[in-house]
Amino acid sequence: MNDAKKYTRRHFLQDIAFGGGGLIIIGTYGFRILKDNSQNLIKAISVNFEKCAGCRTCETACSAFNNPILIDGEKMNSLGNPHYSNIKVYHFNPDIDIPVTCALCEDPPCINACPVSPDLITGRKALYRHENLTIINDPERCISCMQCAKACENLRGGVIHPNPETNRPEHMCTLCDGNPQCVENCPFGALEYIEIPADRELANLAPAKIAERLIEKLYNLNV
Amino acid sequence: MAIKGYYGKLLDINLTTGEINKAVIPEEDIRRFIGGRGLGTKILWDKLPGPGVDPLSPENALLFMPGPFSGLPIPSSSRTCVVTKSPRTSAVDPKFEKGSTISYSNMGGFFGPEIRFAGYDGICITGKAKNPVYIRIEDDKVEILDASKFWGMGTEEFDNALIEELGDRKFESTYIGPAGENLVPMACILNTAARAAGRGGTGSVMGSKNLKAIAIKGSQSPQLGDHKSYLELLSKVRKSFRDDNKESLKWWRYGGTANALASSSRNGTQAVKNYSEGTFTDIEKIGTEANREKIWKRDFACFSCALACKKSGIAKGSYSVMVHDGPEYETGTMLGANLLISDLAGLQKLIAVADDYGIDIISVGNTIGFLMEAYEKELIDKDYLDGIDLKWGDVAASLEMMHMICKREGIGEKACNGVKFMANEIGQDSHEFAIHVKGHELAAWNVPVNSDYWSITYATSNRGACHMNGGSPERQDQAALRDSLAACNFASRWYRDDLSYAKFLTSITGIEWTEEDFNKAGTRIFNLEKMFNYREGFNIKDDVLPPKFFENKFTVGDHKGAIVDKTIFNRNIKEYYKLRGWDIKTSKPNDNTLKDLDLEFTII
Repeated sequence: MNDAKKYTRRHFLQDIAFGGGGLIIIGTYGFRILKDNSQNLIKAISVNFEKCAGCRTCETACSAFNNPILIDGEKMNSLGNPHYSNIKVYHFNPDIDIPVTCALCEDPPCINACPVSPDLITGRKALYRHENLTIINDPERCISCMQCAKACENLRGGVIHPNPETNRPEHMCTLCDGNPQCVENCPFGALEYIEIPADRELANLAPAKIAERLIEKLYNLNV
Repeated sequence: MAIKGYYGKLLDINLTTGEINKAVIPEEDIRRFIGGRGLGTKILWDKLPGPGVDPLSPENALLFMPGPFSGLPIPSSSRTCVVTKSPRTSAVDPKFEKGSTISYSNMGGFFGPEIRFAGYDGICITGKAKNPVYIRIEDDKVEILDASKFWGMGTEEFDNALIEELGDRKFESTYIGPAGENLVPMACILNTAARAAGRGGTGSVMGSKNLKAIAIKGSQSPQLGDHKSYLELLSKVRKSFRDDNKESLKWWRYGGTANALASSSRNGTQAVKNYSEGTFTDIEKIGTEANREKIWKRDFACFSCALACKKSGIAKGSYSVMVHDGPEYETGTMLGANLLISDLAGLQKLIAVADDYGIDIISVGNTIGFLMEAYEKELIDKDYLDGIDLKWGDVAASLEMMHMICKREGIGEKACNGVKFMANEIGQDSHEFAIHVKGHELAAWNVPVNSDYWSITYATSNRGACHMNGGSPERQDQAALRDSLAACNFASRWYRDDLSYAKFLTSITGIEWTEEDFNKAGTRIFNLEKMFNYREGFNIKDDVLPPKFFENKFTVGDHKGAIVDKTIFNRNIKEYYKLRGWDIKTSKPNDNTLKDLDLEFTII
């Protein structure tokens, strides 16, 4: 399995370097589908960097749904200030926009890094994978050490950040009760909610790394 | 408690004293002037001690105004309007030495929404910092910081340098380039290294305050008046963007306004060879197809927009350059067709250099075109141009002139003031082909074909010649409303009937905005601007067209022979004043008109 991964990573880099055919459409590349420990297929948000136009509608939709407000006792979408969204779009110059969201990784470094010992009954750490595959923080057991955020930052997209008030990790993807609002509202069809192929992790890099590679491919004056 | 949907708060910064105020915006002003362009003009009116203030003095105010739609994910409705007193305009018979019109210029991108996220309905800058500074805003925390090390930096480099300095890519920013720093009157303000509040000299006002940039981010949201109906409207309009006007959506994504390069040329409505012609025979070389094939790599959208009319890519050939945006219709025409330039990589280089300096491409393209015509007619020679052989179609010569203008070197020291100034300098009846109104250069839409529309559009625009103004009172008022809401003109076709702007504004404020109230607000805003100008000494003598349009006939294309009929223009403009309720001898809005619009305070 490790060999397969290495091969894929090299192949990916070659594609970028030589500009050959390697559309970075995560999800249409590779064969193996990710599974969690219980062998459930992992469905998550897949970004098509070719299509994203950087409008940040996904941020507003995510924020509005995941931070609802009460109006006359009724729970409703908020106005969706992107500050609170789980998905983040980063602008880069030369022009490229990189949406980054929690990948619900097959081997979540965030959970692996959580130092809180597993609960004897549920087997859950303070950060754990829910039956619906999302990554959940248990605020009662969490010790705010932020090892999860560091692991995500160092090994994956760097999406987890502490809540400034509670100091608990946030911005893990919730999948919006099974109907991800970023996908639903993207005007460009750049986001999909699909079973994630094994090579997804290759693109699940820090936004600056993804940008660097795309910029080299798109805007190289010397090619 | 502010009106719902607003914070009722203006971030008011005096750079002379370093004072930072979170000032209350009177509720009544919000009701009357909405936001953006309208509310900005009212605040400017209040800020200025009276007419005749030097636009580049510390007394002038520079306003960054989002609208009530900014930052809400209402599609294509988060523009930012920059409002100030224009450093570009002057009256035919000046009443004040520094008398000038209102200036408003709006830009897409991401800056306006972030002003709202930080909890403000606008930012007002007055005074002048001792040394170059930039302003860093994070919600309530506002800091004025040293920008000496950034002074002189082009916008391309600065766009990245600022993010590095801030250490947080989620800041949105707006800034000037060297042209603004050098107080080039036609300098502009940009964000994302390409999107510009291009017109009316906004950048030189910012430069005169020693202000390089504003960077902002925030975590606030206003409270809406009727949240539930807002959500319903939002979901309907999002559906409409998915299902309706599909061809239009495709058109915007395919080429943006660059699509109009070919069609306008065909229709004889393009500025070609300093407005001598309406058709450019080489237009295909710089049009959408050529760009799709050779240059553009990606489409980019502004905040919460589905149109993605900005195109980026890479140009190679005679010049190699990163393309952030271009050509679109205005830049492609003013630095392309208007100068008879059809070398696509050369055109891209010109656009990129102009954006890097931060200069209004419409005005600078118009000015270079004017000089080319004066040079061709031998009213000026190569010595006058510091050795530049400024021939039609010459990219290298145009580029050299651009550098001189932006650096204010040699001939550029004069030429940076635009065509009205240059016509006075050169004399010899060169004013006949100096294509400006009130000192502000015309844009890329030529006048003779559809002259009824375009002559009123340009002659009556409050910031001096403006292609976005509209050719009738009704269209002008609608444009003023869009600019006040922060809505984008290009997406207006989606906002009709059940999804009208007035309906959105009603849900946001919880105050019933009938179509009638709403339209009246547009009329009110336009009249306030008119009174601003009237107070500054502008009257009927200033609502004119450049003489060339009455004298020059097109010689190329399907509209050969097209010319503007002066009698018809004079009749149309009288008709226009009548419709407006303005005096047909002076163009001054009648007192009753002003009273009816709740503009008593402007009556002089």
